[in-house]
Amino acid sequence: MTSDAERLAAFEARIAAGEKIEPGDWMPDEYRRQLIRMISQHAHSEVVGMLPEGGWITMAPSLRRKLVLLAKVQDEAGHGQYLYHAAETLGVSREEMLAALLAGKAKYSSIFNYPATSWADMGVIGWFVDGAAILNQTMLARCSYGPYARAMIRICAEESFHYKQGMEIVLTLCQGTPAQRTMVQDAVRRWWWPTLMMFGPHDAESPNTPTLVRWGIKTRTNDELRQEFVNQVVPDARTMGLSLPDPELRFDEVEGNWRFGEIDWDEFWRVVHGDGPCNRERLGARRAAHDDGLWVRQALEAYAARA
Amino acid sequence: MSDTQWPRYEVFQQETPDRPHRHAGSVHAPDAEIALLNGRDVFVRRPECSSLWVAPASAIFGGTAEELAAGAPPTGDVSGETVEFLVFAKVDPRGTLTHVGQVQAASKRRAVEEAVHACGPQTPFVLWVVPAALVTRSEPGEAAPLFSPALDRPYRDQAFYHIQTALRRLRQESGG
Repeated sequence: MTSDAERLAAFEARIAAGEKIEPGDWMPDEYRRQLIRMISQHAHSEVVGMLPEGGWITMAPSLRRKLVLLAKVQDEAGHGQYLYHAAETLGVSREEMLAALLAGKAKYSSIFNYPATSWADMGVIGWFVDGAAILNQTMLARCSYGPYARAMIRICAEESFHYKQGMEIVLTLCQGTPAQRTMVQDAVRRWWWPTLMMFGPHDAESPNTPTLVRWGIKTRTNDELRQEFVNQVVPDARTMGLSLPDPELRFDEVEGNWRFGEIDWDEFWRVVHGDGPCNRERLGARRAAHDDGLWVRQALEAYAARA
Repeated sequence: MSDTQWPRYEVFQQETPDRPHRHAGSVHAPDAEIALLNGRDVFVRRPECSSLWVAPASAIFGGTAEELAAGAPPTGDVSGETVEFLVFAKVDPRGTLTHVGQVQAASKRRAVEEAVHACGPQTPFVLWVVPAALVTRSEPGEAAPLFSPALDRPYRDQAFYHIQTALRRLRQESGG
């Protein structure tokens, strides 16, 4: 009889050797629990993430922009499905996950609780939000759990398109009329801090991180990823003549990093706990979409049940 | 029923006609025909598909090397007439379940044994068998209407955008 200690040692040795853990393999309960938490939150984020941009599809300024935005939002629906599949392999059902989302019990990325109030937001969301997501997802594509890693590889390939189409909008507006420049600068000002919050609490406040790193779920910490994001964005913002809303932003020659000011963690926790600008609106939109889709589900069932 | 989940189907995608089908993920659907359409919508938004297969998750048997070594018998397994099973295996530690061939067997358990034997000395990291009769496949004649819409959407590809060129030009203009 194999003891749990021996199983754990064998499990950790497999991860250290770069093998992927697959559904059905023995795994510590905590590994399963953490993965279900992360993957389901990630899936919900993709699904809720369709909403801020979805509202702009009919207001896109040209047919080309409309097709691109439609394709991006459709990708997000697909990404949600890849991730629900990955979470399901750990023993949680899609039904439970969707019920938790609709009941307001599930968490998703707080960034989607901020409003998209101008067309420039479609550019800045791609540049900032998808740029930040790519850093996180590139790390997760190396995750020790096979189904999550494989979902991430698919997602990363598609997210590059999301990032670039956003950057293209930002570049276009930056070279446009004074009103367009003002619009994009305003979007940058509004999205900067919420995007930095996407990486989560500081490492010192992130109790799960050491375990997640040891089991190869994460390979980098929140603060490392956040720093890389800042280092990546600041030079591009300067090139485009856009200013970031942080008076403390400066280049540290010794570290080779762009140092930035402190995040408003009160705001972060307020939005996480349901009191952001759009939490209620987003949940309401999800519930309405679910209810409005009832006739489609009924029609498909009637078709499947045909004699 | 409309608010509970439909059965799960595993989806296998072939990127080009000369390559084997590989496991893409799963969808839920009320029947196999809709599963195929859902699989197309979820996994084929880009032009990298020549064929899709779907199989009800309940029809698949097998598991990880660890599970195969433990040797739990398949539930509801009855010996009957010999039928064809499709075999999928993950042989690379970082790979994906890939269609590797067929075996003929009279039960799920025998199909797994045959498949393990056919894979040679190294047991795959994961091995699945599924009765060929329960796999629903996109018809070759349907490939164009099913998969070609993705061809007309080059803007879904990141290479469509020339961001670095534009940034470089801006840097040069500003003398930086």
